[in-house]
Amino acid sequence: MNIAFTEEQEMLRKAARDFLTAECPKKKVKELEEDEKKGYSPEIWKKMSDLGWQGMVIPEKYGGQGMSYQDFTILLEEMGRNILPGPFICTVIEGVYPIMDAGTEEQKKELLSKIANGELICTMAQLDPNGLFDASGITLKATHKGDHYVLEGTKVFVEMANVADYMLCVARTGKGTAEDGITVFIVDAKSHGIHVEVMPTIGMDKLCEVQFKNVVVPSKNVLGKPDTGWHIVENVMRRGAIAKCAESIGGMQAAVDMTVAYSKERVQYDRPIGAFQALQHIMADMWTAMQTSRYIVYQAAWMESEGLPCTKEVAMAKAYVNEKYKWVTEKGVLLHGAIGTSREHDIPLYYRRAKSADIRYGGTDFQREIVANKIGLVS
Amino acid sequence: MDFKLTDEQVKLRKEFFDVCKELEQKKPQGYVGLESNYDTDEGWKYHLYCAKEFARRGWLALDWPSQYGGKGTMMDRVFFAEARGYYDIGGADVFGVEMLAPTLLGAGNEDIKRRFLTGIASADVMWCELWSEPNAGSDLASLTTTAIRKGDEYVLNGQKTWSTGAHRAHWAFAVVRTNPNAEKKHQGLTFLLFDMKTPGITVKPLYYMDDGHYYNEVFLDDVRVPVKNVVGEEGKGWQVTQMLAGFERSNLGAIMCMQRQLEDIVKYCNETKEGGELLAKNPLVRNRIAQAACDLESARCLAYRIADAQSKNEMAPFDASAVKITSGELQARVAHMVTDLVGPYGQVKISRWAKFNGFFETWYQHHFRLNIAMGTNEIQRNIIAWNGLSLSRMK
Repeated sequence: MNIAFTEEQEMLRKAARDFLTAECPKKKVKELEEDEKKGYSPEIWKKMSDLGWQGMVIPEKYGGQGMSYQDFTILLEEMGRNILPGPFICTVIEGVYPIMDAGTEEQKKELLSKIANGELICTMAQLDPNGLFDASGITLKATHKGDHYVLEGTKVFVEMANVADYMLCVARTGKGTAEDGITVFIVDAKSHGIHVEVMPTIGMDKLCEVQFKNVVVPSKNVLGKPDTGWHIVENVMRRGAIAKCAESIGGMQAAVDMTVAYSKERVQYDRPIGAFQALQHIMADMWTAMQTSRYIVYQAAWMESEGLPCTKEVAMAKAYVNEKYKWVTEKGVLLHGAIGTSREHDIPLYYRRAKSADIRYGGTDFQREIVANKIGLVS
Repeated sequence: MDFKLTDEQVKLRKEFFDVCKELEQKKPQGYVGLESNYDTDEGWKYHLYCAKEFARRGWLALDWPSQYGGKGTMMDRVFFAEARGYYDIGGADVFGVEMLAPTLLGAGNEDIKRRFLTGIASADVMWCELWSEPNAGSDLASLTTTAIRKGDEYVLNGQKTWSTGAHRAHWAFAVVRTNPNAEKKHQGLTFLLFDMKTPGITVKPLYYMDDGHYYNEVFLDDVRVPVKNVVGEEGKGWQVTQMLAGFERSNLGAIMCMQRQLEDIVKYCNETKEGGELLAKNPLVRNRIAQAACDLESARCLAYRIADAQSKNEMAPFDASAVKITSGELQARVAHMVTDLVGPYGQVKISRWAKFNGFFETWYQHHFRLNIAMGTNEIQRNIIAWNGLSLSRMK
């Protein structure tokens, strides 16, 4: 047991922090939120690829750095702390990992090195309009016709589909139980019949509705085997949940730091408001919520990195962190008083993102149901 | 970052769990947690029996320096605490083993270590703590019990309170005021040890809300204590009490105790029907239990981080405060949850009508210890705010 990061990991953290502070100040974050077309900065994206971030977990033989999932989460923690709008998580979690897990050699060669170079943006079109995260929610239909499939249906909350080059579309291809008959397709986002529209969301994070109207996808673009794609989605959900947790603890750290700093500056009744015990105890609880979140996430990231079964631990982490991130940032806004509610201020950025992170890859009740099953409650 | 235990650690941890599982079988009926060691003769006898079982294995001195009989590490001590917590058994004198021994090792001179460590390791001497006073609770440094030096002795006068198990303990450690004229209240305090049979000591029960006898008021009237029984230096008692912050503070014992409770709750819900349907299938029940499981896991992970840091001689004082707050308040929530879950039976004490053998009805009343003793949760929040976040102290 050694519950501390290595020197190299701490260097990675510092490099990420310095880069994000310099390249993506909050003014830029808000600009990107308000940019209805792209919602990310191609310039920053390019610099990130120069640093090797998009290819961090891609094996060296495909042009990446071959680093661990745990290393990746260190980066995410810093991105959550600074806030970096853009397609980083969806490209790596919803593109890189599924292709690494289930892709053919040809798919890996074609796509991974381009992702590592920052040339491709990926995302997964998972949720149908019913909004269900479990397999029963997948209704978009793909019909096999000769050497291709035809996709018909609508997906929602597809992150950064507005700028994605490839979408991994989760479709129903066969009958059977909810988990059976699901196939994942690598879909060129410019295919004929695809219509993308950005949905207005609390995180202003470019979640999109994607309509598939008679979209033709070659059979060679099936990821893995037909009708057995649900495990790919499960892997995305599990890794994605940890990723959002890592981002969230970074966000909590920022919210705690900002709130404590403000409480030392803001003077009312002839003293800094941070001198009032009523507020001190709230801040102590904010810190405690952050710290109890931190190590349950580190444990989940470590287990994922080691390839250990961790569905339960990840669901526990996500359910816990979802609630704590919302609570910490809510208190952060409150302790800032009225100014904390303004568009100008940075604290509400985190409050809004907490809600966004909560929902992504499964909300609290969804995760608790996984936990309930895993701790042995009969269903 | 690596949460994996070594093969040797896994083996040793299993040995702790195996022995504690056997001792659990001998538990008297109605025995729940720390307080049960002191309430009844059966509980005390069981506590002493477990203590002897541990002592003969050398487990009460696990992480002591080898010259005093230690043969393990801080992590071994943590695993031992986990096993005791999981099976909720006695045997480790919280005052002797958990508090005084590390204090002696940290602040005692060679003579006092030699005289008192052996009795703790062998479980021949059981201890109580005489710290709080009627007007010195959280603000312990304002205590007024005096110890006036006369030759080779101090003469103690005053009243201590909330002294757990003082009616059963053989010896006591106390913080007293040796210099009433010191400039600041933290100065002039002294930490000393004395035999509870010393003339002038009167122990009166302070019955708990459930009518149990766990706590006491202790009156000291001209109690004579040899000067050689001072731990550290005269007038430096406050610094000695503060050494507690450096002790094993992961709280993994309490956390594992709740782990076991959750397992029992899951079993109960899987076997118990309400309105024709298993409780386990009720979505609200599932959600509440899952939430508790998540809260517990988060506390457990941070607790391991504390244990890991402490085993490397690093301090994690704010983390320890965070875990104390979260695990104590979680125990309260779990007790409330289960006493809700069993409906009208949530009020039944141990009897043929009781669910869970009255276990959660007891915890409904006993969880306060976790949130009040050893620095109330409000004090823990002060520690985090003042020391962790550098917010200004109360004036």
